[in-house]
Amino acid sequence: MRSYGLLLRWNLLRLRGMLPLLLVLQTLLSVGVVIGFSFLLPDADQTTGFYLSTGALTLGLITVGMVAAPQLVAQAKLTGIFDYQRSMPVPRLAMLAADATVWVALALPGLAAALGVAVLRFDLDLRISWLAAPAMLLVAICSVAIGYAVAYAAKPEVAGAISQLIFFVALMFAPINFPADRLPHWLAETHDWLPFASMAQAIRETLQIPATGVSTAPFAILTAWCVVGLAITYRVMTHRP
Amino acid sequence: MLLRIHQLTKDYRRGVRANDGIDLSVDEGQVLGLFGHNGAGKTTLLNQVTGLVKPTSGTIHIDGADAVADPALARRSCSLQPQAHAPLDGVTPRQAIDTMARIRGAGRRRARERTGALLDALDLGAWADEPGQKLSGGVRRLTAFCMAAAEPGRIVMLDEPTNDVDPVRRRLLWEQIAALAADGSAVLVVTHNVVEAERGVTRLAVLHHGRLVAEGTPAQLRHDYADRLRLELVAVDDETALQLAAEVTGAGAAVRTGRRVVVPIDAAAASEALTWAQRERGQGRVEEFAVTPVSIEEVYIGLVGPDPAGAEEGARVA
Repeated sequence: MRSYGLLLRWNLLRLRGMLPLLLVLQTLLSVGVVIGFSFLLPDADQTTGFYLSTGALTLGLITVGMVAAPQLVAQAKLTGIFDYQRSMPVPRLAMLAADATVWVALALPGLAAALGVAVLRFDLDLRISWLAAPAMLLVAICSVAIGYAVAYAAKPEVAGAISQLIFFVALMFAPINFPADRLPHWLAETHDWLPFASMAQAIRETLQIPATGVSTAPFAILTAWCVVGLAITYRVMTHRP
Repeated sequence: MLLRIHQLTKDYRRGVRANDGIDLSVDEGQVLGLFGHNGAGKTTLLNQVTGLVKPTSGTIHIDGADAVADPALARRSCSLQPQAHAPLDGVTPRQAIDTMARIRGAGRRRARERTGALLDALDLGAWADEPGQKLSGGVRRLTAFCMAAAEPGRIVMLDEPTNDVDPVRRRLLWEQIAALAADGSAVLVVTHNVVEAERGVTRLAVLHHGRLVAEGTPAQLRHDYADRLRLELVAVDDETALQLAAEVTGAGAAVRTGRRVVVPIDAAAASEALTWAQRERGQGRVEEFAVTPVSIEEVYIGLVGPDPAGAEEGARVA
């Protein structure tokens, strides 16, 4: 716990210069998805609007965890900082937790802003479940876990490319901003196992509880991805060549 | 013995043998200087002791405990100043040193005191509160040293700590290295500056192609050369230096670097050599010359040969 606190302080010190910029970018992106897509779909009905708003939240979390975080890890690998951190006498889990905390915290203001804009723009009628906060936390941690697994396991150049690809797929080809039935059948089925659809569903259903109640399947799938991501990250972290 | 390394061998996947059967031990209070050309296996050795790299075979014991089996123990026991620059962007030296001391286990007050003391001792006060990206390479290097030294492990490993550092602060740095040993740490210093290190280390170890080729106190290593002197002369131009290097008769090969020629001679032949050099000087081929005892640097070059990568600097004449 002591290591966690100190590492968190160390992370904040190091990222101090970059955090405001990332925060602004991340917030703009989340808000931008809500506003931007409403230009693309001018006659958005309530359902479309709801998909776009909750999708913006999901995309915001995906950007931070699977794009920004791995890119900074890749950079750290190239500059030798990565090895430096590895030689610190702290538990590996504390190091991961301290990193994840920064990224999750970074995503929060964007979430709030996007939700606020969405409510105003689409006159959303939210029925928020107590599971909303845990759902967002799970989505955030899952994103970071997958992002870190990619960044740790792949070479820096490859990790950069993969994170771009993830963002592209999430934005255009994942049922985040639109219902899954608009996708070709095979792609929709693939998304039953990928984390994107579950992330979107978990957030969507906890913000506007459906008549059938909040489904548990997305939580299970996200937890599984989380475990896999963390396991890979931890394995690479403790691996000695 | 605090650190005991036995038959340590490391093969990398590409088939490179970076360390080959190294036996080495360092006790608390000692400073061990680790020398060798680039790629001789020094950093690999340090990384194995810290638990970042796993040995292919051999053992490392820290205070009797198996450090290969317990990398967390290795990390707790060792503080490492890596060769790469420490991550200081956005962080001031004071913050970095203080935080690292606390991460290494120091209390709030002790961390603050040690940070202040080291910044003063290395005369870094002027930069202590400047963010890292504004600092020169030397100041960053010294900050990295302080980060390892503020709350030192029982073993302190410094990978080329004097690089980029100005001559005055180098001396201050060596004083702090000695202080770490005096306070009970075992210190390993990787450096290329043999002459400077000779004054600061208790013992020297020389690695060559992954093998330990010599180990002992500076006096022990010099022992074989006790009856040797060196004749150093500066020729009027490169061409003449080349000729002189070929003409001179010494106890070993002459090494020419630009206009400078250095040749080992037997102590008994010193007056003969002086006469020869004086005659060459009279003929206007030599600008200046000197006969001195063999330096530790020559012992080192004698052990490992001139650096192939630096061949253009030290052309060897048979």
